[in-house]
Amino acid sequence: MSYDYDLIVIGSGPAGQKAAVQGAKAGQKVALVERDKVLGGACVHRGTIPSKTLRENALRVKNMRANASLANFQLAEDTEMATLIDRLDQVLLAHDHYMRKQIERNKIETIHGRAKFVDAHQLHIAKVRGEAQTLSAENIIIATGSFPRKPDNIPVDHEYLFDSDSILSMLYLPKSLTVLGGGVIASEYASIFQALGVKVTMIDKYPRPLGFLDQDLTDKFVHAFTDMGGTWLGEHTVVSARFDGLAGVITECSNGATIRSEKLLCAAGRIANVKDLCIENAGLALNERGLISVDQNLRTSTPNIFAAGDVIGPPSLASTSMEQGRRATCNAIGLNLGRIASVIPSGIYGIPELSAVGLTEQQAIEANGAAIVGRANFEEIARGQISGIQDGMLKLVCDPQGEQLLGVMIVGEGATELIHIGQMALLNDAPVDIFVESIFNFPTLAEAYRVAALAVIGQRKRAKP
Amino acid sequence: MNNLAFENPDAQTIAHALQSRTASRELEVPLLPEVANKVITLSQDPESDAAQLASLIQSDQALAGHVMHIANSAAYSPNATLVSLQQAITRLGMNLISDIALAASISAKMFKAPGFENHIQSIWRHALATALWGKEIARQGRRNVEATFLCGLLHSIGRPVVIQAALDCANKTHTKLSEADVLLLEENLHTPVGVAVAQRWEMPQIVCESIEFFHAYEKATQAREQTTMINGGAAFATHMLTPDQLSAEQLTALPVLADLNLYDDEVQSLLDKKDDIKSTMEAMLGR
Ligand SMILES: Cc1cc2nc3c(=O)[nH]c(=O)nc-3n(C[C@H](O)[C@H](O)[C@H](O)COP(=O)(O)OP(=O)(O)OC[C@H]3O[C@@H](n4cnc5c(N)ncnc54)[C@H](O)[C@@H]3O)c2cc1C
Repeated sequence: MSYDYDLIVIGSGPAGQKAAVQGAKAGQKVALVERDKVLGGACVHRGTIPSKTLRENALRVKNMRANASLANFQLAEDTEMATLIDRLDQVLLAHDHYMRKQIERNKIETIHGRAKFVDAHQLHIAKVRGEAQTLSAENIIIATGSFPRKPDNIPVDHEYLFDSDSILSMLYLPKSLTVLGGGVIASEYASIFQALGVKVTMIDKYPRPLGFLDQDLTDKFVHAFTDMGGTWLGEHTVVSARFDGLAGVITECSNGATIRSEKLLCAAGRIANVKDLCIENAGLALNERGLISVDQNLRTSTPNIFAAGDVIGPPSLASTSMEQGRRATCNAIGLNLGRIASVIPSGIYGIPELSAVGLTEQQAIEANGAAIVGRANFEEIARGQISGIQDGMLKLVCDPQGEQLLGVMIVGEGATELIHIGQMALLNDAPVDIFVESIFNFPTLAEAYRVAALAVIGQRKRAKP
Repeated sequence: MNNLAFENPDAQTIAHALQSRTASRELEVPLLPEVANKVITLSQDPESDAAQLASLIQSDQALAGHVMHIANSAAYSPNATLVSLQQAITRLGMNLISDIALAASISAKMFKAPGFENHIQSIWRHALATALWGKEIARQGRRNVEATFLCGLLHSIGRPVVIQAALDCANKTHTKLSEADVLLLEENLHTPVGVAVAQRWEMPQIVCESIEFFHAYEKATQAREQTTMINGGAAFATHMLTPDQLSAEQLTALPVLADLNLYDDEVQSLLDKKDDIKSTMEAMLGR
């Protein structure tokens, strides 16, 4: 049987892109189908890059406020959102340029259209310009990403009540914002908007945001957030939220609490984006979590169809999606691969940043019965003092003997870069002593690794029976 | 500007005069009605409440009457008679009332252009329809819904201003302009004039840009998405108001719909809103 292509990739987000490039590099005839006008997916256009661009300006605003003695600074009353994401156009342009070059260089055919399965090998492609077409391929990779989950009781209208895809389309910076959720996206936006001077109330049913991290880290985050003026309402269940018909949004909780704000962001998680795909025509179905199930080779239950990125669920990160995309292709065409790294760092670009890799203290205790941890507060590190970093902490999680490094967690500016030092140590099964035996630049935040490692080593004797 | 094919050669002089006055910011721009200005300010102030908006609208009797009339129209309250403005605001929402008040206070009646009243009225209907369609397109694409009403409403504000200024100018210089000449001036000058009006009215940057690049949305920078949505909104408006000029088929084939990345089924679900939008528009115009 001959097909139009060896490989068709659906979706041009981080997963799709890397899948397509890998295929082409291995000499396959590849097509990349994307329903949007532009390549890059949620990562480039609605999520990662735009939010991080806004964050950069939020940080600037926050720093200028903090340094009021150096420069008299106040954000204008009616600051337009566009001003705050002003560099975004350039960032996106540069990104788009680089991406297109890579795709052209690798002779990947890009097709602007919306794909739908006809059967396991054929796709119907609807177009916004011109006739629809049907394409076939030996292997197909689904990389259609995710979209915001809409709870029934939150009527998102993109005018008063936004989701994470539309929040940056607000015209003006609102005076107040309610954020529903305590996950990564909620925490990032809540702290970014608070840093910009918006009065933010964050509501979640759990006692703390970012529950997958240890409490001492999230405590620091919540402290920093409330210190900026934000309100955290944990253990509050939202019953309803609606536009009040006048000028804002009313959010009601089951305990009777009522919160009024100008706008609301509903960040209640994201679900697999398969709504146009008709996956049933290819013999596929969503699992009970609304995701596409894959095996460790990223293969779906239909042997020639693979899936990668947000459609298969957590960790739902751009970084991981890229590697999954690449691996899906390698598996599809039988290229040998090592095991996918089990230590995946997560970066949370809140203000302050948080990042973690490996086991949390909680998980280490569950796995080994006990754990030795060492902490270093940034306030105690020269670089932290110079930069005035508060609420910064680095924590090393080790085995009960205080020898083997099991995990690293960091809260504070620079966390998402700093984490990679710990990640490399973990990947090499390094003993915690490596941080004491190596010399770090001074003054740097990396010095915190040394301080925390010394704290671990200091506890060894006590741990020995 | 290149010489245009005017019927009366003196029209070229008027064209140059209007153009240089626009460039030097000396063009006479109608004042943004005080109420409209306050409506915009109030509707953007989260601290403001229904009572404030009501008392503002009440300060302008004609406007108050108009808003009550609209609020009581079938499109908004099918089986209720609203007696007070405040009640209307509570029922319909401050934002909707301020849209209504805006549309009513910046209106065709602002312009004095004898002989062109009907033409200006139809420009206005089209602008209002563009504003309403723009909002739906934005909602569909999860894009800036908020700003679209204002951008749509004002996208063609230069047109009546040009007509009025041209007639004034002709009067002063005792020149006779034919209808065709006036329309040619309108066509060629409305964009820079519209931008000048929006700037004078201190409209947000996004509004100014969407006027400037309405006809060439691909050249817009900051407001590219917004401008494309308004351009698409205008196409839906043309189709709704004058289907013989733009049939559903012709509409669907327009490049702007592809540029908005609207797939056929998405265009269809927008078209399904036609009746709703029409009655909202009629109501807003006080029919
Ligand atoms: C606000 C926000 C902030 C984030 N911040 C970070 C961060 O800091 N770091 C990080 O690592 N991750 C971050 N993420 C997560 C990251 O964006 C996602 O994990 C990543 O984009 C997933 O990539 P993907 O390729 O699976 O899907 P996507 O990027 O969602 O791409 C899917 C593509 O498929 C296309 N598509 C869908 N259906 C079809 C169809 N039928 N036919 C053709 N094309 C189709 C879509 O148009 C889209 O372009 C963030 C996400 C959000 C929302």
